[in-house]
Amino acid sequence: MTTLSKSIKRWHILFFFALFGVQLLSAQQNFTISGTLTDQQNGETLFGSTVFLKGTTIGVVTNEYGFYSLTAPAGKYTLVFSYLGYQDVLRDIDLSQNQKLDIELQSTSYQLTEVEVTAEEPERAILRKPEMSVSKLNISTVKQMPVVLGEVDVIKSLQVLPGVTANGEGSAGFHVRGGAADQNLVLLDEAIIYNTSHLLGFFSVFNADAVKDLKLYKGGIPARFGGRVSSVLDVRQKDGNRKNFALTGGIGVISSRLAAEGPLFGDKGSFLVAGRSSYLDVLLKLAGEKNTAGFYDLNLKANYELGEKNRLFLSGYFGRDNFNLEDSFNSSYGNASGNLRWNHIFNDRLFSNLSLIYSNYDYNLDIDDFELDWDSSIRNFNLKYDLKYYLSDRFKLDFGVSTISYLFNPGEIRPTSETSSVNPLKLDEKRALESGVYVNAEHKLSDRLTAQYGIRLSHFMRLGGQSLSVYENNQPLVYDETRRIYLRTEPIGETDFAKSDRIATFQNFEPRAALAYQLNDNSSIKLGYSRAAQYIHLLSNTASVTPLDVWAPSGKFIEPQLSNQYALGYFRNFKDKMYSLEMEVYYKDVDNRIDYIDGSDLIGNNTIETEILNGESRAYGLEFLFRKNEGPLTGWLAYTLSKSEQRTPGGIAGGPGINDGAWYNTPFDRTHDFSMTAAYRLSDKWSLGANAIFQTGRPVTYPNGQYEYEGVSIASFGLRNADRLPAYHRLDVSATYRPTRRPDKRWKGEWVLSIYNVYNRKNAAAISFGQNFETGANEATRTAIFGMVPSLTYNFKF
Amino acid sequence: MKTVHLYIALACISLLGACTDVIEVDVPEAPIRLVVEASLDWEQGTTGNEQSIQLRTSTPYFQNQDNPPVSGASVEVVNLDTGETFIFTEGTPGNYSIDTFVPILGNRYQLDILYNGERYRATETLFPVSPFTEISQSTEEGEDDVLEVNVSFQDPETMANWYYLRFQARGDLLPELYYIEDEFIDGNEFSIFYEKIEDEDQNIQEFQPGDVVDIQFYGISEDYYNYLQLLIDQFDSAGEPFSATPVPLVGNCINLDNPDNIAYGYFRVTEKTSAAYTFN
Repeated sequence: MTTLSKSIKRWHILFFFALFGVQLLSAQQNFTISGTLTDQQNGETLFGSTVFLKGTTIGVVTNEYGFYSLTAPAGKYTLVFSYLGYQDVLRDIDLSQNQKLDIELQSTSYQLTEVEVTAEEPERAILRKPEMSVSKLNISTVKQMPVVLGEVDVIKSLQVLPGVTANGEGSAGFHVRGGAADQNLVLLDEAIIYNTSHLLGFFSVFNADAVKDLKLYKGGIPARFGGRVSSVLDVRQKDGNRKNFALTGGIGVISSRLAAEGPLFGDKGSFLVAGRSSYLDVLLKLAGEKNTAGFYDLNLKANYELGEKNRLFLSGYFGRDNFNLEDSFNSSYGNASGNLRWNHIFNDRLFSNLSLIYSNYDYNLDIDDFELDWDSSIRNFNLKYDLKYYLSDRFKLDFGVSTISYLFNPGEIRPTSETSSVNPLKLDEKRALESGVYVNAEHKLSDRLTAQYGIRLSHFMRLGGQSLSVYENNQPLVYDETRRIYLRTEPIGETDFAKSDRIATFQNFEPRAALAYQLNDNSSIKLGYSRAAQYIHLLSNTASVTPLDVWAPSGKFIEPQLSNQYALGYFRNFKDKMYSLEMEVYYKDVDNRIDYIDGSDLIGNNTIETEILNGESRAYGLEFLFRKNEGPLTGWLAYTLSKSEQRTPGGIAGGPGINDGAWYNTPFDRTHDFSMTAAYRLSDKWSLGANAIFQTGRPVTYPNGQYEYEGVSIASFGLRNADRLPAYHRLDVSATYRPTRRPDKRWKGEWVLSIYNVYNRKNAAAISFGQNFETGANEATRTAIFGMVPSLTYNFKF
Repeated sequence: MKTVHLYIALACISLLGACTDVIEVDVPEAPIRLVVEASLDWEQGTTGNEQSIQLRTSTPYFQNQDNPPVSGASVEVVNLDTGETFIFTEGTPGNYSIDTFVPILGNRYQLDILYNGERYRATETLFPVSPFTEISQSTEEGEDDVLEVNVSFQDPETMANWYYLRFQARGDLLPELYYIEDEFIDGNEFSIFYEKIEDEDQNIQEFQPGDVVDIQFYGISEDYYNYLQLLIDQFDSAGEPFSATPVPLVGNCINLDNPDNIAYGYFRVTEKTSAAYTFN
């Protein structure tokens, strides 16, 4: 070999080693220790717990299935396992060969006396995870928060986090960093949930008894998730108690729950069955009301361990809501999902999960007065394979693929009366295929600097099997200069697409990167960038998400939403993690954000393209979170100062667009969002909880004048979303009483008294304008959903 | 279909004990504009010579009980087919009338207004209306056991027709308005009913025997139909909590000198028929 080629070869080798860590150059051998962390009491795997080698900076966090893998140079170490709410476990190990070590941690809440965190672990290896803009909520924290009508609500509990708001009562969905409700990917054990609430937003679809924990990614979405631009809410169900049979439940004012769990196949598996149902309909009938509403859900999970390296999980969820308004209006809707997952550990460094998921959301509407019957649904099948390679102490690699096949069934409308303003239509079924492949690396560059970088390549095909309208000049709507409004144009023809045709194809690269720099033992700064694409959209032109809102795929008329999010954060722990402070600033922009023309009518509309205009949105803000993590009083204060706005020019339709093409507030803009939650353990028997929320009112469009015509007052309206509803605020309190129980008694009960909206503030859900029937004077009417609502629940565990 | 949203809202509100209160709200104020109520309606069986046009201005939203009239404007209507000009003269403030108007079916009329140095113009065509074939009462339609009045008319076949139907119970301040097109009913006899449903909050009473309801029925142009559709939908959904953003209503009176200074209201020329029905 010539000197040149030799040096090139050496360069290649050096570069390769440099890329994959210093470790590989050392003469010392590295060995791997791996295993699974579980709860000693019930065998549940622990997600997100810390495993590290004492005295070093080598450590890792367990994944969603409780798996960890640590690679280090040969030697003797003390391995520390630590998780909030559990007692730390220390193990001396001799790392002279690859080994497996499964550990059980004991929950501190099961102890009768407060257990002090041992003073022996001063040098906690603070994991410099570059993860930012993430909130992880323990279900136990959620359960301590005051509830409305006796139901612990996972979605409502998210609202006390910074950067998360909701529209108030009577409104489903939540908003993350000024984003729309459909921009959140909500997963229950990896299955997509389309509507996160029961009864139009009063309760969430998650039965807290079945939930293990939840993680909300507000930004910096890891490359393994795709499909939504604002956030990912990853909810994991409990696996089921592997040690003992247990019963948990609660009896409340409006609904009750019961969950049963236990071991299956000896100690090789477990199951969980949880159900919840309201008896609101029964109560209303007894009260003589002709209107009823009710809901129920069922959560199922079973798992089986096939040897040391394989585990199978089967999960399911089924929930339903029913409304009946004097027999003339009937509505029923709900989510159903099922998935089968296979965890396979290839070797002590490579963990994989294969999932096959089915998800369905459907709704049905029956209105006698219009003699209208409407059925609609969205259904998907998802196959995904995720792998995680714990290459070395400094480098971890995630990679995988996913493909989702969608069937959108916007429904069939059958009117019977001729005066119905609805045309009889079978709305076209739409089909699409969304796929993604990703690779992501978590790379410890130095003792203080960790980086995470990855890329997701997503692909969306809108398939045929329907026909699409063709418009002159490709303009489904056109601006009329004289009438000053956007008018729908009649199609000039139709194009038929066979099932094997593709109406449109989209492809996007979504890079994600983050960097964390440890300033000292107690503080770090992080910065991140992520790009995300969203191919399906929830069309909703009202302030409140209703079951009538339609999911629509991108295609000929709707482009995928594309977002860029930049974030910078400062994180600090005080007094040995007793207090923590997180501050983040973010900026997010979204391309192809659609908005609806004035007077748009989405219901029963087969041609949504005639109601929408294409635009962009942006949001930016400062989030502040101060937490007290330990002691009898725990909780946090969160404050967000932000802005969320959008701009919708006329585009191909011509004209000035919405609001003359200037920026205007999105309906999710809340300038100030302040929330506080606290839990106080008064004594062994009593604990108290409180939530306080204050939010700037929702943007609305108010009338700016009126004139009389044909004997009635006609309002003229101001700029879109330029006004605001009055500020939303409330205080909730709760008190929990646990009667003294003997440790040998299996039955544990507690009474929870909760008062929602203690000072009875009538928060405006909407303000509407019209004439008083008697006087003819114009007046404003505020609709408020809940005043003060007390509730009493009895929870039990057996 | 906006009423479907009303049902959802009703469902959620009535079921969970939500409450509504009238409150004070600050609303923005737009510039004051001219309002043209130029409705030249030729009642079947009359000469249609007497017509009047009202001009007023818009007001801030909560001051709708003032109705500032517009005086000193010049108002005239020209029949574009015959060339005849009709000059309206102001009587009481804001009220411009004539007693020599000549309505001819199918003719095109143009309205010209000069106000504040600006000219406004609108054009419309006189469309015919079909007389009522039957007016009766019943209790079976809509809510059971609630009195309603039914009106029927015969739509002429092959011709495209649009209608405006107005019910007002005598003594009530607010009417019930309908816009009808013949797309699905061409050539058929068509019936529509009007009942009042009791509402304690708003003090609305059902019809009782002895109540009188005034019914007016107009044959209108397609343009006016489009305008009315937006106006009536907005009027119907006023007070509804969760509705989409309403459309700005720009009538057919164009400001020739300053297009941005729009005029509200509409210039219409219609044939009409009316009746008064007393419940027994």
